[in-house]
Amino acid sequence: MKSTNHFRVVIIGAGPAGIGAAIALSKKGITSVALIERSDNIGGVPSLYKKKKGGVRTFIRWSRGGIPVFGEEYANSLKNKLAKTDVEVWLNSQVLKIEAGKKEITLMNPDKGEISFTADAVIMACGSREKTLSERGWVTGARPIRVFFTKQLLQLIDGNGLLPMRNPVIIGSDLIGYAAAAKLKVAGAEDAIIMDKKRRPECSYFERLYFRIWSKPRFIDLNVKSVEVMGSKTATGIRLSKDGDILPCDGIVVCGELIPNSELALLGKLKIELPSRKPVIGRDYQMSESGWFSAGNMLGGFRGAEWCYFNGRRVARSVMNYLSKSI
Amino acid sequence: MKTQGKLLYNWPEDGFDESLKFNDSSQLGNAPYDVAIIGAGIVGCALAYKLSMYKLKILLLDKNYDVGEATSKGSSAIIHTGFDSPVDSIESTLVTKASREWPELAKKLKIPFEECGALLIAINDEQKKQLKNIYDKAIKNGVTDIQLLDPKQLREIEPKITDEALGGILIPRESIVDPFSASIAYSEIALSNGVDIIFGTEIIGIENANENVKKLVTRSGIKINTNIIVNVAGLGSEKLAKLYNGESFDTNPRRGQFLVFDKYSRMNINHILLPVPTNETKGVLVIPTIFGNLMAGPTAEDFSHGDNSITGTTIEKLQSLLDGASKLYPELKKQPVISNFAGVRCNCSQGSYWIRCNDGHPGILTVSGIRSTGITSSPTLADHLVKELSDKCGLHLEKDITAIDSRPESSWPGWWKPPYSNGKIAEKDSDYGRVVCFCEQISRGEIIDHLDSPLKPVSLDSIKRRTRAQMGRCQGFDCQINVAEIISKHCDIPLEKITKRGPGSEIISNTQMMKNKEIDEINKSF
Repeated sequence: MKSTNHFRVVIIGAGPAGIGAAIALSKKGITSVALIERSDNIGGVPSLYKKKKGGVRTFIRWSRGGIPVFGEEYANSLKNKLAKTDVEVWLNSQVLKIEAGKKEITLMNPDKGEISFTADAVIMACGSREKTLSERGWVTGARPIRVFFTKQLLQLIDGNGLLPMRNPVIIGSDLIGYAAAAKLKVAGAEDAIIMDKKRRPECSYFERLYFRIWSKPRFIDLNVKSVEVMGSKTATGIRLSKDGDILPCDGIVVCGELIPNSELALLGKLKIELPSRKPVIGRDYQMSESGWFSAGNMLGGFRGAEWCYFNGRRVARSVMNYLSKSI
Repeated sequence: MKTQGKLLYNWPEDGFDESLKFNDSSQLGNAPYDVAIIGAGIVGCALAYKLSMYKLKILLLDKNYDVGEATSKGSSAIIHTGFDSPVDSIESTLVTKASREWPELAKKLKIPFEECGALLIAINDEQKKQLKNIYDKAIKNGVTDIQLLDPKQLREIEPKITDEALGGILIPRESIVDPFSASIAYSEIALSNGVDIIFGTEIIGIENANENVKKLVTRSGIKINTNIIVNVAGLGSEKLAKLYNGESFDTNPRRGQFLVFDKYSRMNINHILLPVPTNETKGVLVIPTIFGNLMAGPTAEDFSHGDNSITGTTIEKLQSLLDGASKLYPELKKQPVISNFAGVRCNCSQGSYWIRCNDGHPGILTVSGIRSTGITSSPTLADHLVKELSDKCGLHLEKDITAIDSRPESSWPGWWKPPYSNGKIAEKDSDYGRVVCFCEQISRGEIIDHLDSPLKPVSLDSIKRRTRAQMGRCQGFDCQINVAEIISKHCDIPLEKITKRGPGSEIISNTQMMKNKEIDEINKSF
């Protein structure tokens, strides 16, 4: 069944930025807003950080002097706010393609099959993901199992009660890396070794101090050009620089080095900066085609959930501005 | 229609379908096999396919847990015309012939095949002088449909190539194929024609080698009776040949590293780009993949057997690939790399295509040193081997008219035909509308179809090669655990026992589960 529906605004991605934009638009009286999400739950990355022991109070309100809360709690508060609006939420909906000129979005949904929406304006809030080891350019070697991204780690530990490793090495030293070390420790693993190309951990001193409640990971600055993953079947270690020492481990977690999920925009012929993959935007967050906007971590960089939420609201104001002009 | 062959796994771990486990030779019936093929790479699979057209009892076995799990999975996936092969070699004869059979064969196997063509590009005067020689050699090899090009013609065909191109050759029939699906398709047809397939079984001894009925001894001590043994074990062929005192030959693994670029890189390049080869090396190629990516590669690094670092990649070589490839296509440097991998091919010091009949003892056929042309030559090499077996090893061939030679239609043949292109299917079964792999847009329904397919893939890698889920730009960031959960639920294997490629590569190592009590406690503490 192929049907076409028209909305004033379609938002792709129901993380904090997408939800922020949806709530703001709704409050300004835009009644026809569709929020499209490919997973089965709204809330984005924060909702993965469950309210459990070792589930780390993170992401939120660091900057504003407030107390840290759980990602899940924050995601739930956004969900509650969203529930009071009349935004139409589409879950399990993967956008297959976009047509920038026509402002058309084609998506796949288990109940409706392939379906197309058109809109007066579109906000892409597709978030970001961690670079794969290959994408980093300084990590090479074998491709064994038990090399996980934090998302996978959380799915295994929180979702399935499985601890994939006892002696973890974490590549990447951002907040997420330290949170992963804490999570692993609470679930029964040893203190992790965190390594990065940088001289100092990317995670700030105060944040690291906070994570010491759970875990005291060892930081290794590489000060070398490369590391090599060892292990033919499962990850068994990491070799520091060519012919260097091997740090034994039984699992690797990959953190840090985020890149925007901008492939959809690129396939829709919207301008994307390479190799950073940030969408090219104007001061009003408008991308290279009129009526297409971008918000949240898709803009590049690593920002917390609350920043993304407020950014979504800011982008919504630009969209309001655009809509009022285009009538 | 023939009775389907047996599919068995030597799977030491529990949590695996008992009816698929290989425990005892009695599962294979009383009569000895006519032919036992050791090695289920592309050549072994093609041979099993060709032999399955006859009234024979055939066994295909491999120490890994899927077909094409060694050399065959890490290739450039090019179907060569053989235009640059050494003239009058067996390799050249088989490759040139096979390249003409492939378009038809791909239809029978129902796998994607694209005649994208190749451009050989000269970027300095020295190289330009060699073009004529290369052209003449190609004509001698029977590849007559090629064309010398001037720089203007080159750029009309591929506008994005380097400005330094001084001339080139267009080889229109150089093609690309899905390298994973080829082995799978061959062996699926063989299986439905009655060939037995056993995975996870290494042969460590051969008894009664000089008698009519020989005994293969597996690592777990099971003995398998067979009249003829075909050794197509690739990198394991030398070790295996020592077990039956075959003529001595030396092999070593030769590593080829590749860089894989994200899909939109292929929007700019349609042909395989080849540098002018030197005496030492063929140089770095830019290769479009049938999946829509570009690759740069390969390297050629010789290793000795047993070196564990062999399937790894190294930063220096990857950089040299990028440098080499961007000489032909300069913008490649700006393209995002999504993955790198190393393929390992079998190099034979005594020359490529080492084929020996009645090797050591009557009824043993040794095939080694197939290098990197195995996927191209697989159909004609298999024909050649069938003929050798019949002419020299006394294999009696009688056509079986009930055998099929093309792959049966399946509900979803593979990634190249997404179900959502047919709205009705998604409407009937919502699993086809539930996208699991966001990068490659693969639905839950497709993954389940492949889990139910004849070769019963159960590992993450075998699902990856069949569906492309986990093979996109995020390399499983979003979907790996979801795919594992689907396999676990559908095949009734506990999640922690799901492997990347067979026992020993479990997601979770044995003793690392949290106890339920601990989880309860964690949940309670708030």
